Amino acid sequence: MIKKSKILQLLAVLFAFTLISAACGDDDDSSSSASSETSASEESTDEVTLTQDGESLLDTVQARGTLNCGVSGAAVAFSTLDPSGEMVGFDADFCRVVAAAVLGDASAVNFVSLTAAERFTAVQSGDVDVLMRNTTWTQSRDTDVGMDFGPTTYYDGQQLMGKAADGFSGSSTVADLEGATICTNAGTTTEKNIGDAAEAAGVTINLQTYEDFDIVTDNFISGACDIITTDGSGLVGRKAQQQPEGEEWVIFPGAPISKEPLGPTYGQNDSKWADAINWSVYATIIASEKGITSGNAAGVVGNDAFDAESQRLMGGEGELQSLMGLAADAFQQVITQVGNYDEIYARNLNPVGLTRAGSSNAGWEDGGLIYAPPAR
Amino acid sequence: MNEPTMIKVESRPEETSSTPREWIRKNLFSNIPNTILTIVFGAFTIYAIRGVLGFVLSGERRWEAVATNMRLLMAQGYPANQFVRVWFTLGCLMALTGLSLAAWKASGRLPATKISIWIMNTGAGLALFAVLAPISAASKLGWVIAAAIFLLIGLGIWFGLRGENKRPTGSMPTVWFSFGFLAILVLSLWTVPYGHYAFVEGELIAETGRTVAMSTKLPFTVMWLILVGSYLFGVRIREYIPSGRTKAVLVGLWFLSPFILNWIVLRDPDFDYAHIASTDIPLALLFIIGGGVALYILSKPSLGEVGRILAIGLLFFAVFNWIGAFFGWYSMLQKVRISFVLLALAALIAPNFASDRKTRLRFVAGWSALIAISHWLITAVNSPSTLELQGPTYLGGFSLTLFVAVLTLLLSFPLGVLLALGRTSTMPIARVLCTGYIESIRGVPLITILFFFSNILPLFLPEGMEIAELAAIVTGYTLFSAAYLAENVRGGLQSVMREQYEASDAIGLTTSQRTGFIVLPQALRVSIPPLVGQAIGVFKETSLVAIIGAYDILRIANSVVPAQTEFLGVKREGLLLVSVIYFIVAFSMSKYSRRLEERVGLGER
Repeated sequence: MIKKSKILQLLAVLFAFTLISAACGDDDDSSSSASSETSASEESTDEVTLTQDGESLLDTVQARGTLNCGVSGAAVAFSTLDPSGEMVGFDADFCRVVAAAVLGDASAVNFVSLTAAERFTAVQSGDVDVLMRNTTWTQSRDTDVGMDFGPTTYYDGQQLMGKAADGFSGSSTVADLEGATICTNAGTTTEKNIGDAAEAAGVTINLQTYEDFDIVTDNFISGACDIITTDGSGLVGRKAQQQPEGEEWVIFPGAPISKEPLGPTYGQNDSKWADAINWSVYATIIASEKGITSGNAAGVVGNDAFDAESQRLMGGEGELQSLMGLAADAFQQVITQVGNYDEIYARNLNPVGLTRAGSSNAGWEDGGLIYAPPAR
Repeated sequence: MNEPTMIKVESRPEETSSTPREWIRKNLFSNIPNTILTIVFGAFTIYAIRGVLGFVLSGERRWEAVATNMRLLMAQGYPANQFVRVWFTLGCLMALTGLSLAAWKASGRLPATKISIWIMNTGAGLALFAVLAPISAASKLGWVIAAAIFLLIGLGIWFGLRGENKRPTGSMPTVWFSFGFLAILVLSLWTVPYGHYAFVEGELIAETGRTVAMSTKLPFTVMWLILVGSYLFGVRIREYIPSGRTKAVLVGLWFLSPFILNWIVLRDPDFDYAHIASTDIPLALLFIIGGGVALYILSKPSLGEVGRILAIGLLFFAVFNWIGAFFGWYSMLQKVRISFVLLALAALIAPNFASDRKTRLRFVAGWSALIAISHWLITAVNSPSTLELQGPTYLGGFSLTLFVAVLTLLLSFPLGVLLALGRTSTMPIARVLCTGYIESIRGVPLITILFFFSNILPLFLPEGMEIAELAAIVTGYTLFSAAYLAENVRGGLQSVMREQYEASDAIGLTTSQRTGFIVLPQALRVSIPPLVGQAIGVFKETSLVAIIGAYDILRIANSVVPAQTEFLGVKREGLLLVSVIYFIVAFSMSKYSRRLEERVGLGER
């Protein structure tokens, strides 16, 4: 009999545990939603089902307070870690542009470095809110893969690089490649493009592929490759940094053999989020056109030297940002904290030898393709 | 207490000392094939050394890329203004090392013969370097002079201390020799112009001809002082505190240090004190008191089989909580679910403490400590970090490599031993489950498991449950490594003879006593070489975490540094450094395993 009562006591204690812990169950969610790394968070579950609930990723990001931005992490001048461990580059700065617009703080970015293979999955599973990972805008990605694309921030295209000593010049074409050994990295569309271009020009080439482009460049320097090919931005960077003294490398043809428009990429069917990203990018372009820089952006509102469009864009009278779910001065924060398109371009791409003037990335007034709809 | 190291083969004959000439003739040129081999391999070695030196010293090498990125390679994006935390962590480890050296009476002594030979070898190495390295004649002369100095010191020790037998007598404690060696390294930071490289506000600072930055040499000096100071302190307290107690405390600290240093010091949790006071502390107290009372009752000797039935019931309840949470039937704090599992496990072993009042109270005290520590850690892990981070994790580079390797080894060892025991047990269900687990994990590549845990597992988790990237990596890697470890341990288990089982049954040991005191110690002793091989494998394969987006040291050297605008395409230097670092760690582990084998007399008895 005594034994039984002991058992009953034990059971009672356990039952009490259960009740209390179950009662505390709700507490758990609220406490751990603040957690940056582990356990549950209410917001994260909504990311997957946002379109059904009618709630936009914009609200989720604003509630969370940080932007999860997918980048490459190893793309020269576009997104790399500098020696102090900070993510820098053209793509990284556009992550900061979106964070400044949506959250008012350019540093509230959580950079997620993604491989080419996992980038779209990361968007679909809600791991990242937006991709700034030099992703080419293509038909299949826009439709079949389920992505939406924002305004192109960089017009790239595949080109070739040869040595002037081998008789190549800036006016060479694919037809001059007869019998040349051409090297590129394996498993990318560049491999396919050069094959197609050579076939169209009716020349036979010897195509060799390597795991990464550092090895390709080394083989070019040592002479094992006559020609190397990848996106023009990559070639210019290599030429600026690795061209040995006394040698001249030339990039051709003038019109690239492929079109590679790069820009922000996000999940489809979320207009509110898409608008926030698109107009953050447009704001940098318009600011660049209007001469608004990180230095003077804070003083634009109420300054007669700037036109009405600039005033509206920077949060003055008649501003449209509030209707988008952003702060009235969202774009002023973007320009002040990160800079306009021209500043971002100059900061990241000039050091590797890429200039805006004369390229597709010049403003539309200068014959380039960088164009933004009017802010009104 | 008998020191296992004291076993010495006294009967071994003294080595007859031979002149270098005799030695060379006997070992290198004894006959024609031997002579040919010596010449061929000698030439090959010289060619290889020359190639490596040519590579390292070539003017094309840009070692400043490695020097500037050293912080990135070691700790990735850990905020510079918080870097003192990294040093604090290192300092704690140094203090623990010093205290442990003292507590375990690191009493080895290095004979003067060995020291003298080492110094002379260093001199010979420098001379070889001077001859083979592609450097200017002037600097060659400098290296030759350095080599001569080393040779002279070595010869001085050899002849200065020479006693009978033509060999030097005397010795010095190994510990102090190591400390002295480290002191020379630290001093060289202050005196030798390695060069000053830094990256400040986006500007690269590279000044050759200066000593390294103050932010490097000062902390390393402090680390050395902490190491030596804690050793001296440990030696001093050895007289006042019984060594058994010191050792127990130190083992506990070593075990806790990865968790505390990592989650508390490096991560700096931002505690929500209101929530802690309202929920966490009451919960912990509830489990300490309620669980303590329950365990006290369960460990009552007169309870008998009923206690076991209750414990099994509790285990089912604890497991059911996880299933319920998985399907979202009812909500319960994760912490409470973990605590119930711990309580069930404690209840299972409670009969082992069914003894007098004192033993039972000690059992309850152990339970309280377990709950206090685990609740504190869970709260710390679940609190957001105060660090301002660039990426998703606060660890990267070599620290990530170490973190994954240490945690995986710590967690997979007990799991692997349990799996091995399960696989060799006579209980059919346990055997089938363990065998199935081991075989299915061993049939899948590590990359697949890492992909599964980082990409696919989150899709299976119930709504509102998330698993952190690092936690996913460590979990998957632990499960993988445990399966391999289990097979190594099973090999050891099979080497334990049947008579051992019969003998322990004959003296009336229970199954758990037989396993714990008779079988496992012998099995693990035999398994040391494969276990260390496995540990080295785990350490090296951490580089695979790069494929799921984490920045380990290899990925930084291979793809991050060469992508920096300043160091475009500079890859080989970093890769060489990384291989040297991997080699040093792996070689130390293997060296330690050899010493461990000697200590337990493996291969001798």
